[in-house]
Amino acid sequence: MSLRVENITKRFGARDALRGVTLETRDGEFVVLLGPSGCGKSTLLRIIAGLEEPDQGVVRLHDRDITQLDPSRRDVAMVFQGYALYPHMTVAQNIGYPLRVRRRPSSEISAEVEKVAARLGLAHLLRNQPKQLSGGERQRVALARAIIRRPQAFLMDEPLSNLDSRLRIDMRAELKHLQHELAVVTLYVTHDQVEAMTLASRIAILKDGLLQQYATPPEIYHRPANLFVAGFVGSPAMNLLPGTAESGIFHRAGLSIELPALTGARRDLTLGIRPEDVDFSMAEQPGWTPARVWVTEDLGNETLIRLSFDEAFVTLRAPAGTRAGIDSLAWFRIRPERVHWFDSQTTEAIR
Amino acid sequence: MTRRLPPGLVWVAPALLVLAALSIYPLLYLIKVSLSDARGFTFEHYTRLFQDRLFTVAAGQTLFYALAALTLEFFLGLALALLVDSLAHGRALVRVSLLAPMLLPPVVAAVIWRLIYNPEFGVLNGMLRQLGFHTANLTWTSGRTSAMLSVILVDVWQWTPFLFLLLTAGLQSIPSEPLEAARVDGAGYWRTLRDVVLPLLKPTILLALLLRAMDLLRIFDQIFILTQGGPGSATETASLYIYRTAFRFSNFGYAAAMSFVGLVITTLAARGLMRLMKIS
Amino acid sequence: MKTILKYSAALLAMAFALAPIYWLITISLKTEIDQFASPPVWFTFTPTLRHYAGIFAHDAFGHYFLNSLIVSTCSTLIALALGLPAAYGLARFRWPGDWSRGISFWILSNRMLPPIVTIIPMFLMLREIHLLNSLAGLILVDVGLNLPFVVWMMRGFVEDLPREIEEAALLDGESRLGVLLLIVLPLVRPGLAATAVFCLIVAWNEFLFALILSQTQSAMTLPVGIASHVTQYEIQWGAMSAAGVVAILPVLIFASAAQRYFVRGLSLGAIK
Repeated sequence: MSLRVENITKRFGARDALRGVTLETRDGEFVVLLGPSGCGKSTLLRIIAGLEEPDQGVVRLHDRDITQLDPSRRDVAMVFQGYALYPHMTVAQNIGYPLRVRRRPSSEISAEVEKVAARLGLAHLLRNQPKQLSGGERQRVALARAIIRRPQAFLMDEPLSNLDSRLRIDMRAELKHLQHELAVVTLYVTHDQVEAMTLASRIAILKDGLLQQYATPPEIYHRPANLFVAGFVGSPAMNLLPGTAESGIFHRAGLSIELPALTGARRDLTLGIRPEDVDFSMAEQPGWTPARVWVTEDLGNETLIRLSFDEAFVTLRAPAGTRAGIDSLAWFRIRPERVHWFDSQTTEAIR
Repeated sequence: MTRRLPPGLVWVAPALLVLAALSIYPLLYLIKVSLSDARGFTFEHYTRLFQDRLFTVAAGQTLFYALAALTLEFFLGLALALLVDSLAHGRALVRVSLLAPMLLPPVVAAVIWRLIYNPEFGVLNGMLRQLGFHTANLTWTSGRTSAMLSVILVDVWQWTPFLFLLLTAGLQSIPSEPLEAARVDGAGYWRTLRDVVLPLLKPTILLALLLRAMDLLRIFDQIFILTQGGPGSATETASLYIYRTAFRFSNFGYAAAMSFVGLVITTLAARGLMRLMKIS
Repeated sequence: MKTILKYSAALLAMAFALAPIYWLITISLKTEIDQFASPPVWFTFTPTLRHYAGIFAHDAFGHYFLNSLIVSTCSTLIALALGLPAAYGLARFRWPGDWSRGISFWILSNRMLPPIVTIIPMFLMLREIHLLNSLAGLILVDVGLNLPFVVWMMRGFVEDLPREIEEAALLDGESRLGVLLLIVLPLVRPGLAATAVFCLIVAWNEFLFALILSQTQSAMTLPVGIASHVTQYEIQWGAMSAAGVVAILPVLIFASAAQRYFVRGLSLGAIK
């Protein structure tokens, strides 16, 4: 166990940014803090870095309590969203700065700078100033500066969000590969769930300062712990249909599903089903539910179809080339074995 | 080929005309006056200038005054800017209080300090006496060396706020992310100050020094009230000497020559400083 | 521990900055006995308004005050009226080649012109057109002092405004002048206020030109009035301190009205 936070609470004025968050990571892991803006993920990262102090709670790095330590003494490196390069220094000076601060001999510094620059493809830019670099290049300089000191942990605050989408995808892959090589525990903040799913070995989802779920990407995708996680991860989002269950049958006008496992008193349940688990047909099929086509989106490799039925919408994935006119009649079937059940009151998943 | 006038010219023209009337024309007039006396065209004023000991002394004293005041005001202003920037509470109150001296008419500031400096009844010697010092020899503005220092102190009191203000504005315009990065990279307060804050502050520093230096070289008001250039000519700066020549002795030609030479020197100095700014 | 030191240093600085001003105020309110008391009396004295009454009744300070007021406000208004359009012209129109930089630089360099250079010709010139010892002459000179500053500051503020609002108005049929008066002017009000306050203070405090160009009692401004009562050897404490306080008050009032613009205004103007 390398990096661990226990019961972190932080308040800004009247607002609770973090409420009793506990998290632990293993050596070499790539943990992503995911959530909508305002959920507290950046605050948590800054507390770990030492740029903010928690109102309550402890931060431990390899069993060392670093909660009160100044950032300069924590031996963690941080990549900021805006890269935070020193505008008046050259690329080489930027990268070498952490070593210069630690008073390493300048021969050692230049050797290390060259090594790191070569590894990140920056060797030809060493004499340039940050303002002469493109966004992607600046980001790599920020990375170089972080890895040169071989810290015990990497902290990254939405480092890719200022890049254009094509570059972002390329850098994502590079980042994942690099982290694997360095094998240092990394904590990465993002609001982009695709980034989280592709990069993380484990994802910690936060909302309103509370930890919602902390698990591997497949687990989060296939076994979401509550309604929020279910709706946040996956694109297009999971279809969520509230209804009632009674005597073993779930009702939502137009839809009935048997739930032999669920007996007992009447409950409000929400049904969740991913778009890829919904079948579609233009012809009537026995047992299928009728609906009207609201809109179709042909993406080339598949078609997304949105159906409206009984004041609700269902989005589903259909094979490429499926055609259906707006407002035409169609039928859909929810595969019962792929359904997720949630308690409508507590929003928790029911297993 | 007819050149079309820029469309914005009509907006700028009135201001340009007024300024031309109030600066270009007088400048030409000045040159004319400096080259003439009662009998007509003459170079006499300029030749006399280069032999005039009093002028060299005055120029030297002006330079000393400017350098001493500038150095003190800069370091004090910087220290205060950094100090106030690091306070958690009450920054606004401290700033407003520190800015007060700068707002006063220099004449009034001089009056205040004349009262303070008065050897028998002034509060400075009064407090020193309370602490047990003998003040018989502490005459502040009447002693030859102490006069210059006393006058410089008044300037420091009044104008350190100016540098404090400019440097504070500069500090506030530095982005905070590189500073946080330096902290995480391992730099403590003084290290960050030296490696990141001061280099980024350089343009502001140069601008502040330039503006203040220009004003210091033409210092007049305070000295006029505090010592009138005395005792003797111990605190007579160039401006005072020119003033006396022109308006006490009515020697406009000579005074004009001095003014022109002074202008050339300060313009060259300003150009030099500005080139330094452009480089950074 | 460090915080205590920091705040102590800050308090010390504040004390050093404000104490002389406080001292001036106390002298103006003290009787002669208290003024010359040794050891000095800081708080425990009975105040008197005699000195204030004196300077207004006997020494024509009311007159000087009025002169200062007229000169300051008029020159500020004129400087703004000339400077804002100039700033707008420099900020919003396209200029060939390096004109705009050249003009700005020339305007700025005017600020660097030592008054001592223009004072002799101004004295002689104004003498010729009989504007010596008149408020009009002083107003003219103060406009010259403040105009470069107005253009410099307002240009920055105008450039900060998004162009789209003005462009929308122009498309709707508004004239350029209308755009300036109806759209730009309200939007730059804070910057304009800060600049106006600076100009007022500069004109109010101005001494050298006032000294030379208004030597008769009827035309003297406050700083000159004060100086004329100060000789090298003697100074009337009560009268001078009261006059000093009267000279300071408007400035402090102007300044506190605009104090939150100070840092922002200077940073915008200076850093550009």
